[in-house]
Amino acid sequence: MAGKIKMMIDSIIEQRAKDNVMLQGVIRTKLMLKGIDPKKFTMQSDDDPAIMSKLELLVKDLK
Amino acid sequence: MNIVSAFSNKESVDAVVQDLQEQFGNVDAKMVIYYASSLHAPDSISQKMQEAFPGATVFGCSTAGEIASGKMLKNSVTAMAFNAQAMTEVEVAVVENVQDDSGVEQAFAAFEKRFGASMLDLNPKRYVGIILVDGLSGAEEKLIDKIGDLTDVTFIGGSAGDDLKFAATHVYANGKSYSNAAVLALLKPATEFSFIKTQSFNTLCKKLVVTKADEAKREVLEFDNRPAAEAYADALGIPVAEAAGRFMHNPVGLVIEGEPFVRSPQQIKDSGMLFYCGVVEGMELSILESTDIIEDTRKALEEAKAKLGSISGLINFNCILRTLELEQKQATGAYGELFAGFPTVGFSTYGEQYIGHINQTATMLVFK
Repeated sequence: MAGKIKMMIDSIIEQRAKDNVMLQGVIRTKLMLKGIDPKKFTMQSDDDPAIMSKLELLVKDLK
Repeated sequence: MNIVSAFSNKESVDAVVQDLQEQFGNVDAKMVIYYASSLHAPDSISQKMQEAFPGATVFGCSTAGEIASGKMLKNSVTAMAFNAQAMTEVEVAVVENVQDDSGVEQAFAAFEKRFGASMLDLNPKRYVGIILVDGLSGAEEKLIDKIGDLTDVTFIGGSAGDDLKFAATHVYANGKSYSNAAVLALLKPATEFSFIKTQSFNTLCKKLVVTKADEAKREVLEFDNRPAAEAYADALGIPVAEAAGRFMHNPVGLVIEGEPFVRSPQQIKDSGMLFYCGVVEGMELSILESTDIIEDTRKALEEAKAKLGSISGLINFNCILRTLELEQKQATGAYGELFAGFPTVGFSTYGEQYIGHINQTATMLVFK
């Protein structure tokens, strides 16, 4: 399977920042500090369970 | 003035506290933040500072050197008081076991109760957080990471020091002192505010990818699938034996939108490298090269002043490695002078926080 990480990243940025460009940048920075570079993931990227697990934690905190 | 700063280099805690009270004069303090040399007994300084300003929210930490308006200091206490015209609301929470994620959640629950809104809904342009954390806990990354997950409010701060003894550091709140703990303060300033994150480095073209790390120990075992120390030395074109001598001048950084988030090497361990902050597998780190702290800081302050129009107060979290470099270059006086024109409080930290945990950086909260 592929593409789930990009979808999760896009969803997190959309939910957290909405249309706020400054917040979008901050959230991308937070992701990079977690070792997740949003630019490196496309719809063809493998669904790496370790990265998905980090993102799932972030999704949980959004609720 | 709605924000005032003071410092004291008296020897006893009683004399320090009285000196600070006298300098603050008749300011009706709503919030007092202070930084104290490890010379002063933690329980005593915390208790007496709270007693001295009973109507205020009082918090602080121990240091590896202090910063006041126009000065870099040693063996002193530096403090800043805000009245109600400068600080609309403030709430402080202590996270007593910084390794435990639930501590941040409990602190945030207290903030939500006080401010009547979810931390996720607070407007980051109207609220700001301060974090002061035990500088020997090794828990800063996890703490700031959790904070960042739970809110869009910016938390800025530093890791407490102990004058380079590396024995025990303390954070102060509610008239008590705490170790293995963090003080989180949520502020609603009455004025506009901004942030400075300044580090004095150029980014070189050489990059190293962390391919094997023990993240909990802040240890990189391999860069680019090679022993870390060997890969770092090769990137600089020097023998491994000379690598440690270049750590201060050539740390590495995670570069985001052209802005380095510095990770400073601490020592070579076997063939790996220990760092002063977290490094994560997969991170692409650039080799950095040091530039001029004084000029870079001057420029950062000018930009902040231009953005806000004026500066009524500034809190500076300045890395101890920067302080050591300034001392080596006999430039501490010049650095202090940069902050002569407005009330300033700050300290030399064992790590800085701004979005993440970083090294060899000064993070500053600036009030209009």
